[in-house]
Amino acid sequence: MIFSFETWHITLFSLSVGLASTLLILPFGIALAWLFARKEWPLKSVVETIVLLPLVMPPVSTGLILLKIFGRRSPVGQWLYDLGIEIVFNWKGVLIAMAVMSFPLLVRSVRTSFSEVNPRLEQIAATLGASGLRIFFAITMPLAYKGIIAGALLAFSRALGEFGATILLAGNIPGRTQTLSLAIFNFVQTGKDAEAYILLAITVMLAFAFVWCSEWLLRTGKKR
Amino acid sequence: MLLRCRIPLASFELNIDVTFDNRVTAIFGPSGSGKTTLLDAIAGLRHIAAGEIEIDGRQLFSSARRINLRPQHRGIGYVPQEGALFPHLSVRKNILFGAGRNQDIGNAQGISINHVAGVLEIDKLMNRPVTKLSGGEAQRVALARAILSCPQLLLLDEPLAALDIGLKERILPYLARVRDEFRIPMIYVTHNLTEVLTLADWVLMIQQGRLVAQGVPKETFRSANTILQLANDEFENVFTVSFAESNREAGTTRVSLASGVELLIPYVPRPANASFQIRVSADDILVATERPMGISAGNLLSGTIRKIESLDGEAMLTVLAGDEFFVRLTASAVMRLSLTENMPVYLIIKTRSFRVL
Repeated sequence: MIFSFETWHITLFSLSVGLASTLLILPFGIALAWLFARKEWPLKSVVETIVLLPLVMPPVSTGLILLKIFGRRSPVGQWLYDLGIEIVFNWKGVLIAMAVMSFPLLVRSVRTSFSEVNPRLEQIAATLGASGLRIFFAITMPLAYKGIIAGALLAFSRALGEFGATILLAGNIPGRTQTLSLAIFNFVQTGKDAEAYILLAITVMLAFAFVWCSEWLLRTGKKR
Repeated sequence: MLLRCRIPLASFELNIDVTFDNRVTAIFGPSGSGKTTLLDAIAGLRHIAAGEIEIDGRQLFSSARRINLRPQHRGIGYVPQEGALFPHLSVRKNILFGAGRNQDIGNAQGISINHVAGVLEIDKLMNRPVTKLSGGEAQRVALARAILSCPQLLLLDEPLAALDIGLKERILPYLARVRDEFRIPMIYVTHNLTEVLTLADWVLMIQQGRLVAQGVPKETFRSANTILQLANDEFENVFTVSFAESNREAGTTRVSLASGVELLIPYVPRPANASFQIRVSADDILVATERPMGISAGNLLSGTIRKIESLDGEAMLTVLAGDEFFVRLTASAVMRLSLTENMPVYLIIKTRSFRVL
């Protein structure tokens, strides 16, 4: 059998934590992208830069920062530990690492699609009596939804490919925190090339499907 | 309506201080004179540095009293130049978008969708996606959407500018019908003289952000002394006439001007409303210094030249022949006939040169 229990487990674990991280960042990403696209506020460019940092920084550096923030010796980590939540070296660490690393991609993509919605339509909706919330849900979101889905797919693919930040924050513990990328690394290190190639094939197929869908959505979304 | 506002723009400052109270007020001026900015300011879509905006005693904006109603609460129906229909919604959903607005703010009398759809002839378009509409249809849908929000004031920003000449001809009557049917005060922005003369009962002429003249359109344009400069491509005479009789076999209709002068225009069946508007281009009127004989044209009017205005090889004559007619000739024609002010002349107008609105 090509797909062992272990392969299935790793794939399902990666997919489910990746999905959870994307769903977690989606509302924040949409809100922030809207603020970037539609509002002017003090220190906006600073916040924009900070949000984009994980995209350009070495992932291990981001991982180290996260480890410092969520490690039990930090105030945040200690506070969470007191609440019974432990981030480091378990699936929650994987979730946080994936979320932080994929957040900039989501925000960038969604911001672009919000910017492409003609602001005149929102203004006219306002003159017709629509509240800010109604304008957002009846005009802006429906016109930008393809970009939002494309951004979410991109973020999800990025989450699945996450390696550097995850290994620092969550470690590489088989059966507990091992994702597709971490498992490939592990298999190659231990000479299990066949297993590595199976996982490689899975990652290539998943990445291809997600990026293809995302690009298709962005292309058709622009026609509006 | 009270409109006093100061808005700094990139190359000049828009500074308007005017009070008017009319059914249709046209804001007339060249492109880039601040007309759209002014509409945006009235609708609450644009920051005003200082000023006051008041409609029917209701203050929408006052920098002194720190009042600045949000666009949602201004009770204004805005039809922007590009129509700005919501591309993801059907025609029906577009025009019903503002229908739920609190009617206390807007026009107290409710307006039904069927009434609006009937007047603008969009009943058959209701379930179409707006991306499948022609330019003229899209403008009528945008107009319907604004009217159905029961506004206290309609703002129309060059609604015909994006349409070609043929379409303009067809949409202008709809605007006149909206004016007559719904009785919502309108502010109509345009740089087309014919539209002002056809629709408006008051005109504000603005240039570089300043009000340069205001008044009843025909008189304002005449006293502005620059009709030729204002009339860029086409200039049409617009008259309100009353129906006398029509003859289907002859292909003609007899109408009379306010002065009592009768005109022969193409056949139209007896209209429901005895008084209606007709138009004739200033380029389609011939001038003769002696009474011509044996001509096919149905209208031969005797009159007097009141004014001759020349610019760049063109001349605009104002001729009093019962009503005032604007006639555009070449400078050469003026010289050849030795036309001067106060000179008696004959105007020759073909029946078919008149168009009924």
